[in-house]
Amino acid sequence: MKDVLYLAWRYLAYHRVKTAILIASIALIVYLPVGLNVLVSQSAAELTARAESTPLLLGAKGSPLELVLNSLYFESEAPDTTTYEQAERIAASGLAEAVPLYIRFRSRERPIVGTSLEYFAVRSLRLAAGRPMAVLGECVLGAEAARALEAGPGDSLVSSPESVFDLAGVYPLRMRVVGVLERAHTPDDRAIFVDVKTAWIIEGLGHGHQDLAAPQAASAVLSRTDDRITANASIVQYNEITADNIDSFHFHGELSGYPLTAVIAVPESERSGVILLGRYEGADQIAQILRPVQVMDELLETILTIQSYVLAAVAVLAVATLATAALVFWLGVRLRRRELETLWKIGGSRSAVAGVLVSEVVVVLVLAAATAAGLTALTSRFGSAAIRMFLLS
Amino acid sequence: MRVLALILALTALACADRDGEAPAAAEPEAPLSVYVVNYPLQYFAERIGGEQVAVTFPAPPGSDPAFWSPSGETVAAYQRADVVLLNGAGYAKWVGRASLPRAGLVDTSASFRDRWIPLTGSVSHTHGPEGAHAHRGWAFTTWLDPTLAALQARAITDAFARARPAHEAAFRGRFAALAEALAALDSRLAAAAEALDGAPLLFSHPVYDYLIRRYELNARSVHWEPDESPTPAMWRVLEELLTTFPARCMLWEAEPLAETKERLLGLGVRSAVYAPLGDTPENSDFLSGMQENADRVEAIARSPEATPVSSKQMPSPGGTTSLGKEPSSEGRGPGPPRSGVRQEAGVDRDPRLAHVGSPFEKGAPQ
Repeated sequence: MKDVLYLAWRYLAYHRVKTAILIASIALIVYLPVGLNVLVSQSAAELTARAESTPLLLGAKGSPLELVLNSLYFESEAPDTTTYEQAERIAASGLAEAVPLYIRFRSRERPIVGTSLEYFAVRSLRLAAGRPMAVLGECVLGAEAARALEAGPGDSLVSSPESVFDLAGVYPLRMRVVGVLERAHTPDDRAIFVDVKTAWIIEGLGHGHQDLAAPQAASAVLSRTDDRITANASIVQYNEITADNIDSFHFHGELSGYPLTAVIAVPESERSGVILLGRYEGADQIAQILRPVQVMDELLETILTIQSYVLAAVAVLAVATLATAALVFWLGVRLRRRELETLWKIGGSRSAVAGVLVSEVVVVLVLAAATAAGLTALTSRFGSAAIRMFLLS
Repeated sequence: MRVLALILALTALACADRDGEAPAAAEPEAPLSVYVVNYPLQYFAERIGGEQVAVTFPAPPGSDPAFWSPSGETVAAYQRADVVLLNGAGYAKWVGRASLPRAGLVDTSASFRDRWIPLTGSVSHTHGPEGAHAHRGWAFTTWLDPTLAALQARAITDAFARARPAHEAAFRGRFAALAEALAALDSRLAAAAEALDGAPLLFSHPVYDYLIRRYELNARSVHWEPDESPTPAMWRVLEELLTTFPARCMLWEAEPLAETKERLLGLGVRSAVYAPLGDTPENSDFLSGMQENADRVEAIARSPEATPVSSKQMPSPGGTTSLGKEPSSEGRGPGPPRSGVRQEAGVDRDPRLAHVGSPFEKGAPQ
C-alpha cells in the first residue's frame, strides 16, 4: 500500500502544475459556496448587531429602509425630517430614553452626526483622547474620521456646503475638535459628532451676529425705531463659534419645532417599547416608529434570496468543474497506457495499478478539500474584520 | 498523607474564618456630585443634601452667574456631575448653548412654569429671510419670592431622593426646616409690604419681578448700576418719573456710590440695599442675607418719609404708567390678601428708563 501511495505521490509531484491546477479548481468550487455562506452570515450578524443595539427608531413617515440606513449607517440621503418635539415627547413619556439625530451635513465626505451626549452611552463609545463636546461649535471625531482627516483635539474642521451652487443656503461652520473616540468598528468610526444644536447652526436655524444696537453695526442698520431694528444683509454673521462670540448665538422660536432626521428610543423595558410602538400606530400619525432589526431582517431576506441564486450558479459550475476533472483523469489514464502496461509487465498486479490511479484521485481530492477548509477558516477568522473595514466603517 | 491532611485542615480553617467574619464594611458612599448655576441653588442643595452631597458652583466670585459663560472644560465638569441644578426661566443662558446629559438635569422652577413672568419691551430686529424676531424671555430671579424658592428647594429634595433613596428621610427633614425658614421670611416680608400700604418704591434694576408680584408692591424700576454714576440723561428721566411717581426710597442690589446716594437724597429719595443674592455673598448666607433684606424693607415701612402720602391720595401708579403685565390671581402664590392696593404686577419697563432693548438682556448684576 505504501508503494502504491509512493508511486501516486511521485506521479502527482512530477506533474506538479497539472496537479496544482486540479487542486485549485476543486478547492475553489468547494470553497465558493461555503465561504460565501460564511461571509453572508457574518455580514448579516454585523448588520443585525448594529440594528439590535438600536431598539426603536422614530422618524418622519416614509421609507423605513432609508430611515434606518441614514440613522444607523449614515448612508443614503437624509430622510424627511421630524421635529425635536418628538424627542421631547418620548423623553417626557418616561417610557424610553430619547436620543435625537440630525444627520444631514458632511465635512469632507464624513457624515456630521448632530446628536446628544446620550448617543455615546447608547452606542458604548469611549473617548481615546480629549473630552465630549461641551458647547456650540465643538465636535468629536470617530477614530477613522480622525485618521483620515488627520485631526485631533485642538484642530478645526469646516462643514461642507450641501451644494456648490447653494451660495445663499447653508454656509460652512468652522468646528473645533475636542475629542477623538476609540475605534468601535462601526459606522461611528467615520463620523463627526456635534451637538444637535450645532447641526442646526450649520443649517442656519441658529446663528450669531453683531449686536444690532452696537455702534459697530450702524452701517448695516437700515431703520431703527423704539422696538424694531432692521438690518441689511451686510450684518456680520459668525461662521465660527468662539468664546468671544458664543453669547451672540441664538435660536429663533421654539426648539421643539426644529428638524431631526430620527430619534433613537431606548425603552425602559420591553413593555415600555410596546406601549411606545402602539402610540405611533395610528394612520393620522405624522411620524413612524420602527424596530430597525425588523427592517434589516427584511433587507437580509432580500440578500439571502440573491445568495440562493448565486449558490445555484456555483452548483452548476461545480458539476462542470468535476466533469472537467474527471475528463482530465480519464485522458491522463489514456495517455499513460504504455506506462501502466510496463507496470503490469514488471509484475504489478492489476489491482496495484488501479490502486495507484485511485490514490492519485484521492490525494488530489484530499488536498483540494484541505485547501478549501483553510480558506473557509481564514474567511471565518478575518471575514468580520474585513466586513467592518470595507463595508461598515 | 499527614501533610495533605494538614493543608486541608488549614484551608478549612481559613474558609471558616472568612465565613465567620462580620461582613466587610460597605464602601463609604461617595457624596452625590451636584453642580449648580447660582448661589441660591447652592445654598438650598447644601442645606438639604448635607454631607450626602458635594455641591459645586463654578462661577468665579464677582461674576454675574446669570450672564456668565463657562468654558468648555467647565461645561465638561457639569457633564460629569450626578445632578445639575438649573434655575430655569431662562436663567444662565449658557445652558441653552451647552451639551448637558438630560438624565442629571433638574429644572428647579419647572413645577411653576405657569407662574414665570414674561419679559416685555425687547427690541425686535430683522436681518434675514426669516423676518422680524425678538429675543424674548422670562424674568428669572424666581427665588426672590420665598414661596417659589421653597418650590425650587422641593424640586432639589425630590432630585436628591431619586438619586439617593436611602437618605430620602434626611433630605425631606432638612427641606422641612428650610421651608419653614422661607415661610417665616415670607411672613416678615408680607407684613412689611402691608405696612408700606402701597407707598411707591423704586428699584435700581429690573430684577425684582417676583418680589414685586408676590407682595403687590407699588414699584417701578430703573436700570442703574450701583457702582456707576448715572448719566445726566438718566437723572432727567428719574426726575421726570418722580413727578408722577413720588417714591421716597430706592432699593439697590448693592451699596450705591456715595455721590449717587447723596444726590438721590437731595431729591428726597433714600437708598437701601435689597441684595438678590444670585452670586455668593461675602459675609452671609442666603437666609441671613434675605433676613437682612427684610430688615431693610421693615425699616423703610417704619420710616414716615417712605409713605409721605396715603396711597389712596396718590395718583394711580399702575393705572397711568404701568407697562408690565398683570398676572392673573391664579398665577400668584398663596400670599396674604391686601385690599385697596392696586397690584403692580411684573416690572414696569418704561422705554425711557432702559438703555438698549430689554434691560434683562445684558449686565443685570445679581
